[in-house]
Amino acid sequence: MTLKLQPVQIATGSNDRESRLVFEDGRLVAVLVQLSSEHDSHAGHWFLEAGFGRVEDPHAPIFADLREAQAWIARQLADVDPSY
Amino acid sequence: MNPLIRKLEGFGPLSDQDRAILTSVSASGHLIGPRVDLIREGDAPDGVILIMEGIACRQKHRANGARQITAYLVPGDACDLDVALLSRMDHTITTLSACRVVRVPLDVVKRLMEEHPAIARSLRMSTLVDEATLREWLVNVGCRSAIERIAHLFCELLLRLQVVGFASEDTYEFPVTQLDLADTVGLSNVHVNRSLQELRRQGVIELKGRTLRILDRQRLKSIAEFDAKYLHLGTRAAA
Repeated sequence: MTLKLQPVQIATGSNDRESRLVFEDGRLVAVLVQLSSEHDSHAGHWFLEAGFGRVEDPHAPIFADLREAQAWIARQLADVDPSY
Repeated sequence: MNPLIRKLEGFGPLSDQDRAILTSVSASGHLIGPRVDLIREGDAPDGVILIMEGIACRQKHRANGARQITAYLVPGDACDLDVALLSRMDHTITTLSACRVVRVPLDVVKRLMEEHPAIARSLRMSTLVDEATLREWLVNVGCRSAIERIAHLFCELLLRLQVVGFASEDTYEFPVTQLDLADTVGLSNVHVNRSLQELRRQGVIELKGRTLRILDRQRLKSIAEFDAKYLHLGTRAAA
């Protein structure tokens, strides 16, 4: 599995703008956004703004860096659920 | 003044004797710290829980640790008048802040309902309003955007706390953490934070520590499309 990250700016209606579109084999699987200084202790960390398919999780953790975020996304994608 | 009496009197007149019995029923009580379960899902109900100070909540947990807060209990709120009819609790009641909590024994509740018709009527009204509020919260998480959900909750709490004397015209103590707020309105902590910042930026609210001041009540109501009718406050709904 190869994840590709594409930098993009997102209009979240807040100061959180710096973002990455995350693609797996050319398909968009997630949107990550870097949290601004408004988020105190989480400033600079990455938030799963949107996840698609298996990556969707309203209670996803906040990631310290992009490497951690990608590892989590890869785990979600690899987690084969027999009900699918 | 006693928040239970204030609340119930709002639904209909009470006699001096009614007031005296409510004072005595709510007189004892324990100070309980924040994040303490008052009764857990699966427990057998052992009385009606009455909140006299602070804020508690009803909540449901998922096996994965996620939870949804489905109601706030503010001073004067009693939960589940007819809880004696249930053999097991289907949700958990937990303090969000430090609270003064009274457990009214089931036989005392039964006597109140049978021997004091005015109190019984107001307690039943209060149960109907709890149900109406739950419907409104369902609409909130199902149909409103992040900022609208939070604005709606802030409007509702202003009125509910004013009724029992725990809010001024525009200010109240809001001892709810951002994580608890997120689990109340069904949003991530990040979305809650963004919405609070946006409400601040627009000059609608000021949140200093645990004190919430509503700077522009009309704007807050308009963001939330807030209509207080479901609280059935009658002439008390000055806001």
